[in-house]
Amino acid sequence: MRIVVCAKEVLDPDAVNNYALSGGLAIGDDGRTITSSAIPRLMNAYDEQAIEAALRIKEAGADHTVTVVSAGPDPAAILKHAVALGADEIVSIPIEDAGIDYHVVANLLAAYVRSSEGAGLILCGRQASDDDQGVVPALIAESLDMPLISIARAVALSAGGTVRVTRVTPDGNEIVEADCPAVVTISNEFGEPRYPTASMTIRARRTPATVVTMSDLGDVDLAARVTLVEQSVPIVQGNCEVIDGESPSVIARDLVRRLHEDGILS
Amino acid sequence: MTGPVVVCTWAGEGEAAELLTLGRTVSEALGTDLVWLVIGVTADDAAETAKRYGATSIDQIDNNRVAASEPDATVEALSQNCSKRSPRMLLFSQTFNVRLIAPRLGGRLGSPVVMNATGIDAESGKLLRVTASAYGGDTQVVYEIQGDAMPIAALMPSAVEPQKSTAQTSPAVDVFEPDLSGVEERIRVLEPAHAEGPRLEDAQTIVAGGRGLGSPENFRLVEELAEALGGMPAASRPIVDDGWTDPSRQVGLTGKIARPALYIAAGISGASQHMAGCAASKTIVAINSDPDAAIFRYARYGIVGDCLELLPELTRAVQER
Repeated sequence: MRIVVCAKEVLDPDAVNNYALSGGLAIGDDGRTITSSAIPRLMNAYDEQAIEAALRIKEAGADHTVTVVSAGPDPAAILKHAVALGADEIVSIPIEDAGIDYHVVANLLAAYVRSSEGAGLILCGRQASDDDQGVVPALIAESLDMPLISIARAVALSAGGTVRVTRVTPDGNEIVEADCPAVVTISNEFGEPRYPTASMTIRARRTPATVVTMSDLGDVDLAARVTLVEQSVPIVQGNCEVIDGESPSVIARDLVRRLHEDGILS
Repeated sequence: MTGPVVVCTWAGEGEAAELLTLGRTVSEALGTDLVWLVIGVTADDAAETAKRYGATSIDQIDNNRVAASEPDATVEALSQNCSKRSPRMLLFSQTFNVRLIAPRLGGRLGSPVVMNATGIDAESGKLLRVTASAYGGDTQVVYEIQGDAMPIAALMPSAVEPQKSTAQTSPAVDVFEPDLSGVEERIRVLEPAHAEGPRLEDAQTIVAGGRGLGSPENFRLVEELAEALGGMPAASRPIVDDGWTDPSRQVGLTGKIARPALYIAAGISGASQHMAGCAASKTIVAINSDPDAAIFRYARYGIVGDCLELLPELTRAVQER
């Protein structure tokens, strides 16, 4: 079966977090683009876990191939990383606009699947760590008329062509099944992705990406549904009363007394 | 006249008052009606709530499959309701199921979809603008809605302060019967989730631990204080990823969204990824050795110190009272 994994390049969310907390996150003159230059670009971590899920399915036995596709301004680096992890094929859909509407990205990815050999299983990260939208997998599923199973911590394929997924729900684990083709999104509970070995990294350098252009994709809806017009660091108004005292025991009693006075503890 | 703003909630889930408040500001700005679409059996006081928050009418879908959020049935039912109502905009409270259903419905209808919404800027004759959280809450973004298709937005919990309407409405309940005869669910549930014991989402008191605990054994200090308070223990994502406690205890953007009366955060820096899951708490107490930790900005009471010393003392102080 052909397994297609969708991957996105993002700004390292931990670096963005550090800048945001220290008050030093730079937004460009356009009012919407993060311009702090020291922030590394890397593969969205959930997408890395989606690749890991695909590789584990492949290793489980049957004759599967793993294709990783990415649409963005410069997907080359993360696609090399995908090969180093173990992808059989990498596909780049170059887009000029870094702030492209995610609805259009979903249309492009769906069009790629439709125009290539199709897919028995499409795996995506549960959301991208930059916009956190988590909408693209659902749009792909609708566009290709596939079921969508979200927030997976385990995925397995059966010989009969069904996919079995353990989902992480607020009420605990849920086990579901659907006939392939299907779209599955992978959550962080899936576990750590592997590290590339040295030999795989060398192989990655020699593996070119298949470049797919708009004209290869045929009729794609490129009309923007949303445009990102502003981005800022939200201001939180602090209102914290610091409790101090001569020892942890005194501080603890003081806090408990105040919580009682406030009616929070009975 | 332009179509109504429709706000959709499942009976007993999400925050109807918050969503109705947001829906009303949008419908008033656009000079259109506010319809409350309730899925499942409406509570006895639904009409009263609708009146208080200015809904013009209530649509009810009382269908077991939709009430259970079976995806194919729900997307089809909502799609049929949208055909009937032709809404100007459709709003949801962002629950676990809505994270899957809202974007699928958007794909079905060709709609713009914005998740993690925190507000909507509507003005007649101008494009709608939806504010949303990004980078786990580190930034906020504004999306301008393009095109003619009905936009869908899902509102984050506690993003909007409920406000009653000054104008009273007298909404009537209209039952909407979707035709789901041709819809076979493509996803089969083999083993349903069963919550083991109480859920963090429902807890009134939570004690949460993070990296500041130093080592996995010390998570027991969090559990002991939680037990003394009759509450539940929880954790930030880094220590869940490292296996110090079960993933079901994780609070945050990709974990549980809790809204307890009291949230004690011990050794948690307050990264926004975590705050997304607990900012709705009524009172936050922060214990952290770093006086500049972000958590203090959200806290009502703060203790600058070592949580390993303070947690046992707090447990003792609670037990003594």
